[in-house]
Amino acid sequence: MSWIREGELTIIERFCANIIKAGPMPKHVAFIMDGNRRYAQKCHVERQQGHSQGFEKLAQTLRWCLNLGIREVTVYAFSIENFKRSKEEVDGLMDLARQKFSRLLEEQESLKKHGVCIRVLGDLPLLPLDIQELIAQAVLATRNYNKCFLNVCFAYTSRHEISSAVREMAWGVEQGLLEPSDVSESLLDKCLYTNNSPDPDLLIRTSGEVRLSDFLLWQTSHSCLVFQSVLWPEYSFWNLCEAILRFQMNYSALQKARDTYMEERRRQEVERDQDYVTKKLQQEGFASHGDSRRRRTLLQKCTAMREERIQGFLQALEHKRADFFERLCPVSA
Amino acid sequence: MDEILKQQQELLGLDCSKYMVKFANQDKADQVLNCQSTLKVLSPEDGKADIVKAAQNFCQLVAQQQKTYTDLDVNVLDNLLSSTNGFPDPDLVLKFGPVDSTLGFLPWHIRLTEIVSLPSHLNISYEDFFSALHHYAACEQRWGK
Repeated sequence: MSWIREGELTIIERFCANIIKAGPMPKHVAFIMDGNRRYAQKCHVERQQGHSQGFEKLAQTLRWCLNLGIREVTVYAFSIENFKRSKEEVDGLMDLARQKFSRLLEEQESLKKHGVCIRVLGDLPLLPLDIQELIAQAVLATRNYNKCFLNVCFAYTSRHEISSAVREMAWGVEQGLLEPSDVSESLLDKCLYTNNSPDPDLLIRTSGEVRLSDFLLWQTSHSCLVFQSVLWPEYSFWNLCEAILRFQMNYSALQKARDTYMEERRRQEVERDQDYVTKKLQQEGFASHGDSRRRRTLLQKCTAMREERIQGFLQALEHKRADFFERLCPVSA
Repeated sequence: MDEILKQQQELLGLDCSKYMVKFANQDKADQVLNCQSTLKVLSPEDGKADIVKAAQNFCQLVAQQQKTYTDLDVNVLDNLLSSTNGFPDPDLVLKFGPVDSTLGFLPWHIRLTEIVSLPSHLNISYEDFFSALHHYAACEQRWGK
């Protein structure tokens, strides 16, 4: 399969893998695959070659992840900011995408066999229509597979994603599906492009840069960040192991930080619900600190109604998103 | 400048008159003299929670039909964030401690921020601080291009 290299680990690699797997393993790894152009310069080849090599390295890295039991990978393939590059380079990258997605669609059997679910995340209408159509076909063809997940961020920036999520919630309010008080951190989570994935446990950026470049800013707030100086096309199994070791060293501290954060978030949401109930009681003319049973009943009722609204909204949102892809593929794959 | 002269007197004592303090770049003299530093102390609620608050406020406006959902884009949301109103995005984050994570620090604002890690803020030396600034100066920001 062109997107996931075939093959097993060597004996030495397998030996190392077994040692590493004795400790906690990330379930979801995100990659900023940086360094293709510097690699091309280093090897005195065209930039396009650098990007091609970068893709090959992606295929190889996905194989290593599967060998290590890492079932979900998210990659930063093309940023909205990358449209600023020369027309030649952007066209080259679009051609590469056309080639790779077309190839992917020819490998349906392989995708089915490996159960690979492909998702493409980004502001897709910014892309050429034919690429949108290829993407839609790939996404629809694999949407029910669940052995492993590959999320490709294409025409993506995190700020656009977060704004889009807020816009969806505002759309929900406009449609009468949501009330402004339903807006919360957990609801925003569910409106992001990544709503079907857990947050990445580990974010790896290659080529030595130590910034996030507008990638998964919301989702990686408590992830282990590993910056490695190797250029992406030269990434090795050992680089990956090194990153996983760093993840393991940070594991308990991050687990604790995440748990503390979630507890605080839950506490704030409970407080928000209490305030909502207090306001409602006041509106209905009851003393806000009065009958605690009335308060409890109202709280239960409000929570249930909120849950119902949110479910309705999320269903409508999913429908809207599926519709976008289905309209790009009049004949279902 | 006054502070520099005061420190000079304290540290060098009687020798201080032997040494002249001069700005390396004379043109920037005024800039340095008038440079006021602002210290902003932030907490976790200035992170995601602030984005959620901005979202709630916008949705409230939509509910009151003062805005429509298509009015919201990256710039509008950026302006709605209150914890860092009028404050530029950080260029450099100095991260102290052994944990390799931003732990929820201003997720929206650090999209292009260089993240330099230092082992600890306790007894941090000037050399360490300077080398972090040096690292920042050496970074090549391509801005996507």
